[in-house]
Amino acid sequence: MAVAPTPVMFAIVTTRKDSVSGGMAPIFIAEDDQERERIAMWLTRITNAIVHDLHNGTLVLTVNQES
Amino acid sequence: MSSSSISINWTPMIVGFVAGLISRLFSLKTGTTHYPGYPSGYISQLALAVIAAMIGSSVLIALIGKQFTAATFLTLAATQFRDVRNTERQTLAQEEKLILVSRGPGYIEGIAITYEARNYLAMLVALLTSAITMVGGLVIGVIGAVIVVIIGEIFMSGQHLGDIVDVEPAKIWFDKGSLLYVGDVMMMEVGLPHPRERYEKEGLGVVLTPKNERGQAVLWNISQRQAISYEAAAAVGVQKDVGYPEQTPLCRMAMPAGTGKAGLSILPVDHDMNKLIRAIKRTPVLESSKWNRMTSPVLNRKEM
Repeated sequence: MAVAPTPVMFAIVTTRKDSVSGGMAPIFIAEDDQERERIAMWLTRITNAIVHDLHNGTLVLTVNQES
Repeated sequence: MSSSSISINWTPMIVGFVAGLISRLFSLKTGTTHYPGYPSGYISQLALAVIAAMIGSSVLIALIGKQFTAATFLTLAATQFRDVRNTERQTLAQEEKLILVSRGPGYIEGIAITYEARNYLAMLVALLTSAITMVGGLVIGVIGAVIVVIIGEIFMSGQHLGDIVDVEPAKIWFDKGSLLYVGDVMMMEVGLPHPRERYEKEGLGVVLTPKNERGQAVLWNISQRQAISYEAAAAVGVQKDVGYPEQTPLCRMAMPAGTGKAGLSILPVDHDMNKLIRAIKRTPVLESSKWNRMTSPVLNRKEM
């Protein structure tokens, strides 16, 4: 494991489409909180990315880049 | 005493050899590093121990027998032990990618250096013992061997984390809905509800409070904290696999206050707090963390 990993934005899952825009990560738009959590869960299991809650209806997934 | 190379007094060599070998064997328990964990590892270490003890015990005999060429060759053979460190480091670094909770580079370096030093210690013990036996005879030689081996053990046994850091159980809770706290130490953000429930139900948390300045300096070292996580996971197990990054055991400092305290959160397989605390207290203090005193934010702040 890299001792000080560099997180890279991997994906964004949101219920509020207007609160995010642009960038390098794909944005997944969910109908409600439950679907948002389900999508985030799938993505983290598939890609080993870490889920962070921004508490504004948006979940951010980051992966730690190999240094 | 042998006056020529023809009549050799074997006693010092034999006593020295045995003492050197015993000194190496003492430290060959698997112990806290979980290494070597396989029979072939023991064999290669045993072979090195025999060679080291042999070199140490025969140097003096060779010199007294005026076999300077032989003595030179023996010192040459001793330098070969430098490779031991590299071999150990490579093996452990390879393993690092295959285990779920890694040891961290500092721990690996510590283990590698210890393995190298142990062989040199065996050599020194053999040399000293053979010298004592040569001067004092068999009985004094054996007594001297025991003393030298014990001194070597005391000299080589490093500090454990329990000596400089207090380890106490602490509650795992979530602030602002998703921030995982152990006691008053913020650990990480857990964005998904299921892992949060799991942590609240099954997680174990401890807070590490340094007893003195040395303890603070040691805790600020990232490698040291990775070693602590590794030892904790090795003791109580960890519910983790690839694809579950939020269930990794973590050891983090209390930030942003920087009080010098550290917290550790783990999702154990074996829900045993005593076992966890014992394992953390037995974690060796890494050599590399000794030098972090100057870079410790807390220690520097005190000097202001």
